[in-house]
Amino acid sequence: MATTTLYEFANPVRFERIAARVFPVALAAAGLLGAVGLYFALFNSPADYQQGDTVRIMYVHVPAAWMAMFCYSAMAVSSTAGFIWKHPLADVAAKETAPIGAAFTFLALFTGSLWGKPMWGAWWAWDARLTSVLILFFLYLGYMALWRAVPDKTRAAKLAAILAIVGFVNIPIIKFSVDWWNSLHQPASVLRAGGPSIHPDMLTPLFLMIGAYVFAYVALLLASMRNELTARRLARMENAGVHAPASVVER
Amino acid sequence: MSGFLAVIARDVRLAFRAGGGALQAAAFFALTIVLFALAVGPDLTLMSEIAAPVLWTAALLATLISLEQIYRPDREDGSLDVLAETNGLLALTALAKAIAHWISTGLLLTAATPVLALLLNIEGDALWPLLLSLLIGAPGLSLIGSFAAALTAALPRAGLLIAIIVSPLYAPILIFGAGAASAGAAGDPQYSANLALLGASSLFAAIFSPLASAAALRFNLD
Amino acid sequence: MSPKKQQRLILFGGIFLAAAAAVALTLFALRGSITYFYTPSELAALGETPSSPIRLGGLVADGSVAYAKAETGDVVSFTIEDGGSDVRVHFAGLLPDLFREGQGVVVQGRMTGARVMTADNVLAKHDENYMPKEVADALKEQGVWKEDETGS
Repeated sequence: MATTTLYEFANPVRFERIAARVFPVALAAAGLLGAVGLYFALFNSPADYQQGDTVRIMYVHVPAAWMAMFCYSAMAVSSTAGFIWKHPLADVAAKETAPIGAAFTFLALFTGSLWGKPMWGAWWAWDARLTSVLILFFLYLGYMALWRAVPDKTRAAKLAAILAIVGFVNIPIIKFSVDWWNSLHQPASVLRAGGPSIHPDMLTPLFLMIGAYVFAYVALLLASMRNELTARRLARMENAGVHAPASVVER
Repeated sequence: MSGFLAVIARDVRLAFRAGGGALQAAAFFALTIVLFALAVGPDLTLMSEIAAPVLWTAALLATLISLEQIYRPDREDGSLDVLAETNGLLALTALAKAIAHWISTGLLLTAATPVLALLLNIEGDALWPLLLSLLIGAPGLSLIGSFAAALTAALPRAGLLIAIIVSPLYAPILIFGAGAASAGAAGDPQYSANLALLGASSLFAAIFSPLASAAALRFNLD
Repeated sequence: MSPKKQQRLILFGGIFLAAAAAVALTLFALRGSITYFYTPSELAALGETPSSPIRLGGLVADGSVAYAKAETGDVVSFTIEDGGSDVRVHFAGLLPDLFREGQGVVVQGRMTGARVMTADNVLAKHDENYMPKEVADALKEQGVWKEDETGS
């Protein structure tokens, strides 16, 4: 099969070795940062002067929203890399980033909704920021659906890469939606001209949580990339007439 | 240039022939509007308030169901290979096919709008913003849609997949198109801003769609 | 020139023109500013009172909040201002936690007269500043507090 030969050029052995070593470290870092971050977020940070304790949703919501955009950007970058340099690992990284990014996007929408009800007075509002993030969620779904629909993995990688790159146009729209339009959502608090407008005591748990989310992404990505590579090797072996033990196939 | 026009002429002819998608899309457009009007009931004030968004959504759905016809039949009978080999730049061929799709669906739907608008209680001055927004926005629908069609050209049953891929990309056109039509009908000053953003969205689609479609088609040819 | 080269020239020329036009249209639109809501001044500048439902954003004027008992339930009234104009809003329903005098809000409803509105929905807008209460109080005492929230 023409599709399998391409994958043999990559060096999954070296990736396996590195991934096996990085994965536990990333997982531990995510757990540790998450635990410390949550302690600060829930017990050791001040309540907001206006929002009171409800502000603590921020420590779950903001990192999730950032990761939603970060994952899409990572997906677009590795899609571009896979497209130009034809490195299959880049395609696998893009493919496996999508469900993680979709999960982060869902988390951002869900926690935002929980935050919006007490503060704004509505679970949902069709303003520019909320709408563009919802569209991001559907872009992830479309990307994943395309991967699933195309049987030939090499072709699926190319087509999905084109879709990911086209969909990237939404990322700057999300980022600047609060500046371009009069929206209900507040403008940027951390990445803005003139420095963060969040009190330092609240920035500590925020950054800890962002660190936890990033490491969680790395750990999840490595785990699912290893799964994908194993599944492909298995499929290749079966094509070659080698049959894996039934217990492995059942997975 | 003659190859470009020939592709448009051929696709438009095919679309209007028996079994072509053009009249089906127009019928679907009319039926969606009638069904919606039946669901809303006899409240004519409510009807005219939601008419522009309803009409725009119906136009979007009618465009969407006809997208599968753009590339898949051509790929199956091999004429896409011939076009890619002999008709110069693939991106220009893709642009020609998107224009042909707009003529056979978008333009047809726009032409049918004045009659269907009566069913939704849109009259007189409110009609012009609606027609103008459709004229500016419908080419964008065909351009973006033809990109999704190019992505899925090699798949046998891609209808639902096209819908999933293309819906988020359609969001700006729908928002600004329906927004312009509503604002224009209400005499709202945001009319021109909505129209401008609608035009920018269609132009942007005209830039990326031929290039991205050509790239996708190249991987779908063999 | 070979036909392919000529086509490429047309393609890139077309892309350049389309991109320039798209940017120009976007800049034009952003100057006119598409808004999620109107402010009272923008509403006043419209001249006529819109008949369709609108969203209106601004600050709740100090001392303007009044509660009244009605047969259909409690009604709260308040004035929304933006420095240029103001609109009186009547609302029967639950107010969000952040609703208070001086706070930015977005209300949704119909105009029932010139500068009078019946709201179906009141949303509170909050700014991008997060700080503990003590810090906010200290800043206010020092007089460096910036009251720049006009909901824009």
